[in-house]
Amino acid sequence: MTGPVAIRARRVFWEVDGRRIVGPIDLALSRGECLAIVGPNGAGKSTLLRLLAKLIEPTSGTLVSGEDDYSQISRRDLARRVAFVPQNRAHGSDFTVRQWVLLGRFPHASRWQIGVVPDDVRAVDEALTMTGALDLQDRHLGELSGGEQQVVHIAAALAQEAKVLLLDEPTTHLDPQHQRQITSLLMRLRSETECSMVIATHDLNFAAQLGDRVMALRDGREMICDVPDRVISADLLGRLFETPFTVTRQGKRLVALVDYDS
Amino acid sequence: MSSVDRRLQGVLLLLGVWIAALLIYPMVGSQVLSWRDLFTGETTTAVIFWKLRLPRALLGLLAGGSLAVSGLTLQTLFRNPLAEPYTLGVASGAALGAVLALLLGGSGVGTSFPTVGLSSLLGALAVAAILVALSSSRFGGDSSTLLLAGIAISLSCSALILFVQFLADFTQTFRMVRWMMGGLAVVGFREVLWVSPIAISGVAILFGYRRELDLLLASDELASSRGLDLIRFRCVALGVTSIVIGGIVAVAGPIGFVGLIVPHILRRWLGHAHLYLIPACALGGGAFLTMCDLAARTILAPAELPVGILTALLGGPFFVWLLLRRRVVH
Repeated sequence: MTGPVAIRARRVFWEVDGRRIVGPIDLALSRGECLAIVGPNGAGKSTLLRLLAKLIEPTSGTLVSGEDDYSQISRRDLARRVAFVPQNRAHGSDFTVRQWVLLGRFPHASRWQIGVVPDDVRAVDEALTMTGALDLQDRHLGELSGGEQQVVHIAAALAQEAKVLLLDEPTTHLDPQHQRQITSLLMRLRSETECSMVIATHDLNFAAQLGDRVMALRDGREMICDVPDRVISADLLGRLFETPFTVTRQGKRLVALVDYDS
Repeated sequence: MSSVDRRLQGVLLLLGVWIAALLIYPMVGSQVLSWRDLFTGETTTAVIFWKLRLPRALLGLLAGGSLAVSGLTLQTLFRNPLAEPYTLGVASGAALGAVLALLLGGSGVGTSFPTVGLSSLLGALAVAAILVALSSSRFGGDSSTLLLAGIAISLSCSALILFVQFLADFTQTFRMVRWMMGGLAVVGFREVLWVSPIAISGVAILFGYRRELDLLLASDELASSRGLDLIRFRCVALGVTSIVIGGIVAVAGPIGFVGLIVPHILRRWLGHAHLYLIPACALGGGAFLTMCDLAARTILAPAELPVGILTALLGGPFFVWLLLRRRVVH
């Protein structure tokens, strides 16, 4: 995929007390591209997403959105370009689904705007329709199942109308039914919108199915970033996770399983 | 749509209660006044109404409303239902400032209202500056750390207040202790005129930040990713809240728990949207404190109980209930 670049990272490092957590990262995410990031616990997947969302500042290196350096863009302006769906979702249980999705409109609201403007209504309706959450709109977030909540969080990010979606472990803690639901939703978003996506995940099959490219991250460094066929291999996964894998192909799909027998 | 209507109805109902409090409060007390006497210009009634009770009613409405809005803001900022001007130390800082003014001024000029007022404002801002410095530090994103720091500051201020009282002479100590009980007893409109620009503009500014406050209810990470500059917003909101609290404490002394009780009840009734909650707290807090003060000056009539004692008596058990409820919920 070689369209215009949505986000670019150049020699990005993030350190804490002189200890390198992530870096060096060089990355160019094309418009409409879906990049899956895989790697063991502590590899820096979530940290990389937080860097891309400007929730933390890189210790060195530059991040660019379109043509603009992150340091030149206000937080609000960046939020109109990049939306983030965090991993920790134990919030907002007192909001109704519609109120919660409406919060996604924050970067578009002016200080003097009282109440909701037609643009907000349109964006929220579109996001709820696209995610199939329209029927849930009057229910409280706390009443929903984990899968439904995840759908609503994705809807809130869509209402932000950003061209880049960053999703941190979107299928973790979900049962197979809801995993399938989220995977289908993200596949639909990939095919029906121009959104670029970066997804950090532990689910290798999900990454292989959804990613145009898969980045394997270990100790904060990129091992490889390539099409799924080249990354989801027994040899590479074995080195990445230091555990044996078997990888088979079922039709067009790659299936990676931990090899318990060897 | 129905929930919007319900919340709007709630705010309108509170406006009715607020107006009722303003009309009832000045007429009731150890001496019951009548509207007819007032309109016919009966001297005693006019003096009691214009010099004593109306200024006191207005001060109660302003102080209660702005304390409730401040409490609401702090609870949202720290994402903790136990946060309020007193648990965070802002009010204690203001009280320390005022008590210092009472000590240094002796029985002369220092006891006059503007000195105590300015000193109280400085005290509140000093505590806010410490909280802002902490929130700008690397621990800035952690609300619990800030809340615990606030509680520690509050305890330190209380200890310093005791130390100041220890240094003071008998008359000063009596004045400090009486002031610490909190009360709305004023004569004339001077205090009301001094505090109203602070209270009204403070509440208006916080209303302007209603969306930011809504967003903060989600999580720091999510708020930030939606475009909110967390550190800057915390600084501004804490600064505005502290100025409001400093202004109120300067005039009315430390009146505790209004900022805790009122936002909680209203949040349970009207939900979490600050578009409705801020006006509701401004109206409900005012009516609540005014009615508490009415009870405080009639329960033991002709003696008057300082209203701070009554709100603390109501607030203490409420605080414990809240703690227990949190334990059950978690």
